[in-house]
Amino acid sequence: MFYRLSGIKHTRYASSRALWPVTADRRIMQLLVALALLAPFFLSDLYLTSYMLPWLIWTAAALSLTLLMGMAGQLHFGFAAVLAIGAYTSIHLTRAGVPFEFALLGAGLMSAFIGVIFGAAALRVKGLYLVMATLAMQYLVEWVIINVPAISGGAQATLSTPDVTFLFMPLQSDASLYYMALLWTVVVTLLLLNIKRTSFGRALVAVRDKDFAAAVIGVDPVRYKLLAFFAASFLGGVTGAILAFCYYQAVTPEQFGFNVSIQLVAMVLVGGLGSVIGAYLGAGFVLLLPIVLTNVLAFLATYEWIPISFNLIAHIPLMVYGALIIGVLLYEPLGLAKIYDNLRKYFVVWPFRHTQS
Amino acid sequence: MILPWSRPTSGRLKMQPERQYREDPPVDALHPDWREDDHLIQLLVHNAREHAGEVALRERHRGIWHEYTWQDYLDHVMNLAAGLEARGVRAGDRILVVGDNRPALYFGMLAAVCLKAIPSPAYPDTNPAELQGQMEAEAIRCALVEDQEQVDKLLSIRESGYDNLHLIVFDDDRGLKGEEPEGAVSALDLMAQGRQERENRPGLDEDLQSRASVHDIAVLLHSSGTTGAPKGVPLKHGHILSGVRNASAAGYFREGEVHMAYLPMAWVGDFIFTVGAALALRFCVNIPEKQETALHDLREIAPTLYFSSPRAWSNMLTRIQVGINESSPLKRRLYHHFMPFAVELERRRLEGQAPGTLERFWRGVGEVLIYGPIKDHLGLSRVERPYTAGEAIGEDVFLFFRALGLNLRQFYGQTENCALCVAQPPDSISLHTAGKPFPGVDLKINRDGEILVRADNIFDGYFNNPDATQETLQDGWMHTGDAGYLEEDGQLVVLGRVSEVVYTEAGHRFIPTYVENRLKFSQYIKDACILGRERAFLAALIVIDMEAVGHWAEEHGVAYTSFADLSQKPEVYGLINGEVAHVNTVLPEGLQIRRFVNLHKEFDPDDGEVTRTRKLKRKVIDQHYAPIIEALYDGRQAIEYEARISYETGASGTLKRHLMVSDVTPAHVAEEA
Repeated sequence: MFYRLSGIKHTRYASSRALWPVTADRRIMQLLVALALLAPFFLSDLYLTSYMLPWLIWTAAALSLTLLMGMAGQLHFGFAAVLAIGAYTSIHLTRAGVPFEFALLGAGLMSAFIGVIFGAAALRVKGLYLVMATLAMQYLVEWVIINVPAISGGAQATLSTPDVTFLFMPLQSDASLYYMALLWTVVVTLLLLNIKRTSFGRALVAVRDKDFAAAVIGVDPVRYKLLAFFAASFLGGVTGAILAFCYYQAVTPEQFGFNVSIQLVAMVLVGGLGSVIGAYLGAGFVLLLPIVLTNVLAFLATYEWIPISFNLIAHIPLMVYGALIIGVLLYEPLGLAKIYDNLRKYFVVWPFRHTQS
Repeated sequence: MILPWSRPTSGRLKMQPERQYREDPPVDALHPDWREDDHLIQLLVHNAREHAGEVALRERHRGIWHEYTWQDYLDHVMNLAAGLEARGVRAGDRILVVGDNRPALYFGMLAAVCLKAIPSPAYPDTNPAELQGQMEAEAIRCALVEDQEQVDKLLSIRESGYDNLHLIVFDDDRGLKGEEPEGAVSALDLMAQGRQERENRPGLDEDLQSRASVHDIAVLLHSSGTTGAPKGVPLKHGHILSGVRNASAAGYFREGEVHMAYLPMAWVGDFIFTVGAALALRFCVNIPEKQETALHDLREIAPTLYFSSPRAWSNMLTRIQVGINESSPLKRRLYHHFMPFAVELERRRLEGQAPGTLERFWRGVGEVLIYGPIKDHLGLSRVERPYTAGEAIGEDVFLFFRALGLNLRQFYGQTENCALCVAQPPDSISLHTAGKPFPGVDLKINRDGEILVRADNIFDGYFNNPDATQETLQDGWMHTGDAGYLEEDGQLVVLGRVSEVVYTEAGHRFIPTYVENRLKFSQYIKDACILGRERAFLAALIVIDMEAVGHWAEEHGVAYTSFADLSQKPEVYGLINGEVAHVNTVLPEGLQIRRFVNLHKEFDPDDGEVTRTRKLKRKVIDQHYAPIIEALYDGRQAIEYEARISYETGASGTLKRHLMVSDVTPAHVAEEA
């Protein structure tokens, strides 16, 4: 109904691979970008800093992980450790006087370096065994951070982030922190959208679908698996640094525990493996839905519309939330992105059921 | 070859009318208003100079639209012209053009025109025997063809004794590269040779561009030949341009239209639209990848001018209806609400009732929900001037597309008058009229009820056929051979061919095509042939529409295997009976169809039963189906028919078919039963 496809023609193959060749899609993107840019002006500080900000940053993290899990097909159950490495590296670098811009770079490189070491296991093992190898990374990294005072600053210590500027803009106000996170998420989004269209992206997909089949068609699986771990860990490291500076502002090892890794995997799975929009939807679902559910229940309980004790209120959202995750994956195993895609196609072929001719 | 003294001569000719009856009047005497240098090549040169960077032509190749600007267009034409001349093409040569629409073929036609040679296009699916007939009649020495398939066809003609063919230029070199048969050259190589020539001989361009004249023949087309062999129709630059200008003066074309060239190159409309009007009015011409992808490519192009036959419009409607039937409930319900609403609104609008405010608002809602999306799917969302011509269009189809918001209008014309003769003006549309004559076209009806026209876009005589010319062109009026009458407001109503008017035994006068067209408005009937000449009553040979009837059979649980099987199902007979009975309700007493047969196959141009443009050849049909026709009139209920079939290899065989013959029961009787 809203999608008008007539008159869209391509005079070069490059333009036929454009990100949004359909006008309606472009309009939606422009609207979303405008809303995101104007968010600090119409959202209250509470919504900006405790909903939008974490959503954007976790989206960036989910995007980094989906590059590895969705596109290259390498399972990673220790991605919180990658974020942790980035967060701690950036804090130590800025404390040592390195400018924030370079600290971000350093955080990414450190994560990438350590990530690739563990990723090397992927050269030998696949599937569940790779899950074990990455779990080992999760626990090893956590242990090292906790037990090396030079990193964590002591067993129960909290490291707070120093004041920094990014490209001469001091990162203090809520709006500036928000824009920083937005900038990074947009960069990661564009990167992923474009990786899908490059030979690198196609090589990753080939490795994902069957690594020895990829080898047969001339894609070196060793090289591309390592590259996938490198790229995803780099992005994860920078995201960790952004998470520390823009959102937590004080980090402890518990913030990067195993449950965080599982949440990240859940975001990617619920959102849809390998999908960019899925990362946004998945992060929103995993992060915001429990909050929304709690609020709704609390609201209902305050007016005593439903007779429940406050003890139960804490648990019901978790139960509903768990059921929703299962429900989404049962209804559409390809995730929220596929649901969006189905919805979009429903309108693209309107008023028919499928494309004509 | 204009000479200084020729102007006063033409003046004197006017004063001395008896001299006009000379065998061969000087060319400019025929058309004193034409300017010598007003020709297609001059227009191309002008466009290339004034609008060098504008896209003139697009061709879809492997999913990508390749663009040619006017500068490229001229360049290619010049290269080909120089190449053809170097290969021995001379003024007056006829050049055979065979193939689907391809830029190289259009360039080649204009290159021939540059050399004062005459392009003579033929339908790509013409069989070798027919093609050989055309080549012999026109002494073809050079051919410009699309691909290896056509080259093979020409080679087989050459082997079968036609030894006059010296040069074959082909566009697509797949299957030919490095293996070029004797005398064949690829268009690319020819262009390279031409470019070399142009570089070696400065001044060649100016020479080539200045040779053509408005009095030259620009193209040699062929009348479709429902009666006998096709006749060559030479059209001069002046005919084409005056036709195009008349049409554009009346607003039927605009400058800079986006046009899709998908209709056969041998059909008059394609040359007029894609070459004549495109050069005169700077169209952007788009050529689809293949015939089969034309509808898909149409959506990518979204043209502003769209021309299609009534049959194609009707196919489009069938496609929409099938798509809606398969669609999800909400979409289907919306469609079934909004579409009948718009059709009703349009029907009332044609009767002169303007819609009310509320209705206009509701139509606007429908535009967003249904009409707009459907037009978008068809690729017609930007069409401002959609046309149909060739035969009558069904009321359902006509109203449907008008209801969608397309200003669908009917055209009337023949090859002999560049197909630009009569059209419906935008403001007064009615279903049964063909519209008003273009400005510059005089039209009258003679005593026999035949339509006569006189205009500058009417040809000067058939190719090498003075008898036919004399029959058609009398005293400057062209006899169209169509029967018709003028309404009080000057709108022309076309009934059918004068030669087709026939009488039943009881003396009732009728035109079979008129009845057939009414039958064909049913989506289930693809073709029909009405019999009844000097018979007691009318009977019909029906060809079912495989797609629509097949879909109907699926829905009603009728199992079938093939076309022949499906056509003989009693349920299908019941269905067709209903359609025939419906047509009978609008036919006068004595002209109703009493019996019909569903044929076991479609009419096929390869069997000679229809022309390439799908017009019936009645003599052939009478002969092929004689036993069936006998059965229709002697009251039998079934017949064993020995079908003679010719395979594509040229071999032939026979096949026994059991065909039912059915009486038409009136609709209300059938319902009660």
